[in-house]
Amino acid sequence: MLRNRLGKWLLSWPPLVYLTLFFLIPTTIMFVAAFRNPGDYGGLAPMYNIEDGKLVWDLTLDNFSRLVEEPLYFELFLKSIGYAGLTTLLCVLLAYPLAWLIATTHKKWRDLLLLMVILPFWSNFLIRIYAWMIILGPQSAFTKAVNWVVTGLGFEPIQLLFTPIAVMIGMVYVHLPFMVLPLYANLEKHDMALLDAAQDLGASAWQRFWKITWPLSLPGVFAGSALVFIPALGMFAIPDILGGTDSILIGNLIKQQILDTRDWPFGSVLSIVLTGGVLLIAGLGALVARKGAKRG
Amino acid sequence: MKKLLLGLALAAAANAYAADTLHLYNWNNYLSDATAKRFEAYCKCKLVQDYYGDNEEMLAKLAAGAKGYDIVVPTGFAVQTLIGQGKAQPLDKAQLPNFKNMNPAYLNSFFDKGNQYSVPYAFTTTLLGYNETKLKELGILDKSNSWALIFDPAILAKIKGKVTVLDSQRELMSAALMYLGKPANSTNPADWKAAKDVILKAKPFWAAFNNQSYIKELTVGNIYVAFGYSNDMYQAQQDAKKAGRKFAINFNLQKEGNTLSIDNLVVLKDAPRKDLAYKFVNFMMDGQNAADMTNQMGSGNPNSAAVKYVKPDIAKIPAIFPAKADVARLQQLQDLKAKDRRELNRVWSEVKLK
Repeated sequence: MLRNRLGKWLLSWPPLVYLTLFFLIPTTIMFVAAFRNPGDYGGLAPMYNIEDGKLVWDLTLDNFSRLVEEPLYFELFLKSIGYAGLTTLLCVLLAYPLAWLIATTHKKWRDLLLLMVILPFWSNFLIRIYAWMIILGPQSAFTKAVNWVVTGLGFEPIQLLFTPIAVMIGMVYVHLPFMVLPLYANLEKHDMALLDAAQDLGASAWQRFWKITWPLSLPGVFAGSALVFIPALGMFAIPDILGGTDSILIGNLIKQQILDTRDWPFGSVLSIVLTGGVLLIAGLGALVARKGAKRG
Repeated sequence: MKKLLLGLALAAAANAYAADTLHLYNWNNYLSDATAKRFEAYCKCKLVQDYYGDNEEMLAKLAAGAKGYDIVVPTGFAVQTLIGQGKAQPLDKAQLPNFKNMNPAYLNSFFDKGNQYSVPYAFTTTLLGYNETKLKELGILDKSNSWALIFDPAILAKIKGKVTVLDSQRELMSAALMYLGKPANSTNPADWKAAKDVILKAKPFWAAFNNQSYIKELTVGNIYVAFGYSNDMYQAQQDAKKAGRKFAINFNLQKEGNTLSIDNLVVLKDAPRKDLAYKFVNFMMDGQNAADMTNQMGSGNPNSAAVKYVKPDIAKIPAIFPAKADVARLQQLQDLKAKDRRELNRVWSEVKLK
């Protein structure tokens, strides 16, 4: 027993050390930077100065008070949470039937279907987003088809590229596989005999789904949601490329602080708040999941 | 036999490594292959290039302690930063006889008075590129010489959703400031507020803030007006021509003034091969060599001796070779103090969110 555990430890210390070190070190740097002043040439101002032979600390809470005093940033956080939330919801709605289909398909086809879900990962994420620029551009067949329908219904033709719709399409597209895979892993393990039994006892299709499949699949839904929501919350590339004049998200603001404005302290504060928010949401999710598991 | 070949290859590689090598840390696509080859033949050394995408990246890498580079190619304000950090080598002009070729209009800039540390290499202006054919159809082609084209709602109403502007707080604010007749480098809060109001009124008519793809969007005809860099507009113009589009792309300076970005050659203080670095800097100030890049990518040329080697159709574009009167209206962006950068970013966040 002891030897068994020792073996486990020996094998797992490299990833543990790796993760701890490379999570802790940057987080610590970020945390310290949050209390410092930006340097005139970018980077950070010295943490302390020697004045008349005395050591004077140069630390500040300005970076935090700026965040609190300016409602703009709060609005941006809310907006980003909204975008990430909607992305997650759409991913669940789209991924669930697909995962169900894959899980219930004959083994012969299952691997092929799974492969198709994973296939997009073989090309670079940015290239796929640039491809969407072409698909959603005004000259594309897709946009023309959409506008043929829209004008047919008597509305003004619409623009797709550089709109929040384009950002949403990009976000859902990129994150969908992260929802499909955990859902599939969960659904595949369901005991189909339960559904047969329910049907024999007179449960309707909706009841069978809502009373049996859905509660049993909750761990998969939560896992997928975490995998989608968290990266979606910090996303900056998609709004940059597909978004219009009002598509900035919190990730873009952080990127701006680090690169354009060279205001690392404020960028650190924003990142800390974002990380804190994510941890909070993940914690709540875990709590709900545990409750769900107990009930189930 | 195989072993022998391998041995030879290794020896050759080792030899190349041991040979004299100059390390240039440069922008992507900022030195023509022909010029690079000519330099290697001239100095009997190897030229190795490493690339960066913006000044911040280069500064950050050097600040983090990257060693081994001899020359970097910073834009104006970044020269100031390198000097301030003590990373730039003061230049011994006696070793740079070709310095006499430089156009005085691009010397003695704010970031390096007397060019003690830097020599100008190439420049771009920030301006409006447009679909000439479409603007003529819409009857607003004569507005293309003014920032009003992207800021005046009355004009914008005709090109709603067909305009992109740079996603750059400095460049866009400067354009709005110049439109209002203020200095591009103003840090006066009242000026910034006025510029912000101009931008917010115009923003509903713009399609996007775009640094990445305006060349393509102009070239395929998705947008009619783009606020961007002169060398990109030249690229778009050429691309549209080559693709045989039914419309023409053009670009020009604005009467209220434009910003000018000068990229410079700076030898680093810890350069391993200062001798080769001097050779390179002097070589690039030769008229023919300086002209190569302009011919390749339409960048502005601060070298008087280069003009006669530049393709005539490029030399006559005022946005690439501005006349004396135009040069007087060009303003270089100075680096802001941390406090001002922060304030500007607050204004910018408001612009982006509202």
